[in-house]
Amino acid sequence: MKKGIALTILALLFAWQMISTFAIQRFPKPEFESGYITPETLLPSPRAEILEVLDVAVLLLALSVVTWAVLKRRSRNLVFWISVFSLAYFGFYREGCVCSIGAIQNVTMALFNGSYIIPWTVLVFFMAPLLFTLIFGRTFCAGVCPFGALQDLISWQPRTIGPRLNAVLGIIPYIYLGLAVLYAATGTDFIICRYDPFVGIFRLNATFGMFLFAGVLLLSGLFLARPYCRFLCPYGVLLNWVSRFSKYHLTITPSVCIQCRLCEDSCPYEAIEKPVTVKNPDSRKRMVRKFMLIVLLSPFFMLLGGWTGSHIHESLARVNGKVRMAEEILHPKRIAGQSETIEMTAFKASGKPAKELYAEVTGILREFYIGGWILGGFVGLTIGGLLAGRLITRYRTDFEPNRGTCFSCARCVDYCPVKTGTGSIEL
Amino acid sequence: MNRMKPSKQTIQLLNRIALISGIVAFILCILIIANYIQVKRIDPLNTPAMTVLLDRLKSNPGDDALRTEIRELDLLSRKAFFTSWWQIRTGGYILLACVLVIVICLKWIELIRPKIPPPPEPVKEDFWDQRKTRQRWIIYTGIFLVAGSLILAWLTYTEIGKTLYRQEIARQGTDSRQATDSLERGPDIELTINQLQRTGGQDSTPVTGTDSESDATQSGTTPGNADLEEQSNGPQQAFPSREEILSNAMTFRGPDANGVVNGKNFPVSWNGTTGTNVRWKTAIPLSGNNSPIVWKNRVFLTGASTTKREVYCIDAGTGKILWQTDVSAIPGTPSTAPKVDRETGLAAPTMTTDGQRTYAIFATGDLVALDMEGKLAWGKNLGLPKNHYGYSSSLIMYRNLLIVQWDQAEGASVKAFDGTTGKLIWNTPRDVKLSWASPILVNTGNRMELILSADPCVVSYDPASGKELWRVDCIYGEVGPSLAYAGGYVFVTNEYARLAAIKLGNPPQIAWESTDYLSDIPSPVASDDYLFLVTSYGVVVCHNAKTGEEYWVKELDNSVYSSPVLVDGLVYLLDKTGIMHIFKAGKVYQPVGEATLGEGSVCTPAFAGGRIFIRGEKNLYCIGN
Repeated sequence: MKKGIALTILALLFAWQMISTFAIQRFPKPEFESGYITPETLLPSPRAEILEVLDVAVLLLALSVVTWAVLKRRSRNLVFWISVFSLAYFGFYREGCVCSIGAIQNVTMALFNGSYIIPWTVLVFFMAPLLFTLIFGRTFCAGVCPFGALQDLISWQPRTIGPRLNAVLGIIPYIYLGLAVLYAATGTDFIICRYDPFVGIFRLNATFGMFLFAGVLLLSGLFLARPYCRFLCPYGVLLNWVSRFSKYHLTITPSVCIQCRLCEDSCPYEAIEKPVTVKNPDSRKRMVRKFMLIVLLSPFFMLLGGWTGSHIHESLARVNGKVRMAEEILHPKRIAGQSETIEMTAFKASGKPAKELYAEVTGILREFYIGGWILGGFVGLTIGGLLAGRLITRYRTDFEPNRGTCFSCARCVDYCPVKTGTGSIEL
Repeated sequence: MNRMKPSKQTIQLLNRIALISGIVAFILCILIIANYIQVKRIDPLNTPAMTVLLDRLKSNPGDDALRTEIRELDLLSRKAFFTSWWQIRTGGYILLACVLVIVICLKWIELIRPKIPPPPEPVKEDFWDQRKTRQRWIIYTGIFLVAGSLILAWLTYTEIGKTLYRQEIARQGTDSRQATDSLERGPDIELTINQLQRTGGQDSTPVTGTDSESDATQSGTTPGNADLEEQSNGPQQAFPSREEILSNAMTFRGPDANGVVNGKNFPVSWNGTTGTNVRWKTAIPLSGNNSPIVWKNRVFLTGASTTKREVYCIDAGTGKILWQTDVSAIPGTPSTAPKVDRETGLAAPTMTTDGQRTYAIFATGDLVALDMEGKLAWGKNLGLPKNHYGYSSSLIMYRNLLIVQWDQAEGASVKAFDGTTGKLIWNTPRDVKLSWASPILVNTGNRMELILSADPCVVSYDPASGKELWRVDCIYGEVGPSLAYAGGYVFVTNEYARLAAIKLGNPPQIAWESTDYLSDIPSPVASDDYLFLVTSYGVVVCHNAKTGEEYWVKELDNSVYSSPVLVDGLVYLLDKTGIMHIFKAGKVYQPVGEATLGEGSVCTPAFAGGRIFIRGEKNLYCIGN
């Protein structure tokens, strides 16, 4: 019932958002013959510093509370309520910005562009979840990330997708991360923000295509739990890495696993590692040999990936507006009746010589060539790492959360009949 | 554990609410997508009804009732457009609300149903199989990524990197050479880096056979500059003297195609309806927007329909059609006529002649040469021009060379053919967008230059070799007007771009610019002191040719497509209704006469032998005192 009330509150928030969006519906400025002077357009002032401090405070508080709820209280209900709050605050109120996922790009840009000064709030939003994850696991995903909270809410009848799809889709976040870093490092674009499917919902304002993307994600989210978090989120890659080293990660049982198997299918994210009791049919010697082969082949994977990336660098570079502009000038392909792009008109009006543009684009292409090698190498290394990771076996007797992929949502906790600390069973 | 007791009625109710919301959401989804597709397909400012009304307004700009009607229709279109968008947006909100209701209902059901399932049945452990499957699929994904990336790279390859790299090399090479061979290279060495980059790129392939007339290039060797000079100046090559060029109307807009005509005592009044000062009038079988050309006692022009292309020769004294030759069956000509704009037509380029043959080109890309008796000397198809309005650049002769400005959406070039044989002599690729302008010939005092304009530049070529001499980036858009030249200044204009005066020199530089009045169709004309620019909506502007100072502006009642002609100190300007406005080429607007043709015209008149030849919509008129 409580959850129903929470959802109703969210619905009201949603309605409020709709009304405020109606109020800012815009129309082209009309021309008046009566002499009426249209008032000057006022730009919104930047967010007050005190409110930025508030955002950071809320983030740290939410992280602390959700971590406490996961690890100390072991309460899924509490996690749920915090995620509702995060969705309301970071999602609908803050409209999905600033967010830790997008902060990857700011950090990258600050590293590669000396003239860019990263706002301290963005840095905190990037670092704080990573630090918390390093110590406590992915509690940020559990209840602070508004994207995760939204998907968690709509998860209805989650189904498993099998090892094949998991293997294929699991590579996408690495590629997305690589692309996001490449485009941010070259100052091309913040693609995570541009193609963020949920910001449009939080702001109730997006292109039709982005709404469609969000709709598809949410619909698939009914049957495939947290599709964005598992198969797209680039920040999730970093959290996955860091979480593997977390000191105090959530455990399914608070004491000793009694092998009741009640939790076996409780995780909608397929993040519970089952006991491995059957011996590997392959001999240990053979496994070591396979592992060494993968390790030795990894540089080759990187080179192959890098070579591929270098070949696709021009296509990747076309996301850059300057490259597109130069291309339009050098290889005009205007379709009959279609006028030139507005960017081209603006460029011509600026009076900037084409040679300056060409020189800039030559530099950008060079950056993308190097970036293509690095991106491809990274993807190659990822594939090598994933293959090698599949060869390392740790025999388990208990059900345990996978430290990399577990979102610490504490769902499985509810399924465990063992009482905290005592080892007795709650019926 | 305390779980809420499930209530069948509540679950049933929630299920129903979710179902109804789902149905509403689905219907809304369909409606939104349909509405979106419809809105995307409609351009509210360019509806067929609006286009018709705007066309009517163009031909009758003083109709206030029509203006009001257009405004009302415009408002209505905008309202409909934005209402549709409002519907999409509002529908989107309702859709999201429905989705939210579904989510709430489903979550509610989930909450009140028993949550913890019984322990699953033991299943056979397939951990190791699953692990192997994952490994296999990771490898497959890697292979797919490599293959997919390479295919994508191949599909989207545009050579931009190579092009820029070549330009970089060219620039570096030019920079290093600049100090050592500036004397040998002459004036173009002083051009800007950008100009040099482009020039370098062009010079690398001065003669290529990339077009459909490649057989011409393969059939013989291409002479170098020296050979060409020898060939063009050889004793066998007869071409008109300067006197003959000046006394005839051999090309579009006068002897050098710049709108300036020699001669005196041309009529300043006539009436096509009553016949006053009209020596003859002859109906032309097929329509065409090309202007007549005149050689001695013969007038030439072309006409075309979707199935037929013809060249006409008319006796300048009597108006009798001496011959008309069907040139529709040129090898390689397209089986169906290209779709062109009605205002351009299929025979927009004006012919030219060297006194031995006449030359014509059509929107199909057919280039033909006929002897003076109408017999086809040679003909070839240059390929269908990639031109959405229709090809309209007129031909021009330089000595024995027939020059074609072949600007199109892809693969623009300027070509020169031997007038006698039709053999391609030189072909210079142009990195410009398609245009509708025509070339002009300029004698700078030191040399002859062939000057062309198209987005993004004005480019000068050596007419004998096709070598690029200089270029100035100063124009953009869909360039329709041709250039004007006088007193060492080249004038270029295009609507939405600018009017610019380029002072020839070393290097050529933009002397002044203006954006007040610009033309999209009529070409400007200039004397040493004045520049006359005419807009298609009927405004005539006179500038100081050297400073750009605006002397006067005269608004005509009708729109103008024809280009003004400067002759004997007078400017002749024919508007679309057929009224010739004649005024003095001076610092103040001084009308001299106004003559009526009796039918509309978009063609530039030809002046020769004291007579004016005007092509109307249906008839060719000879005006003479």
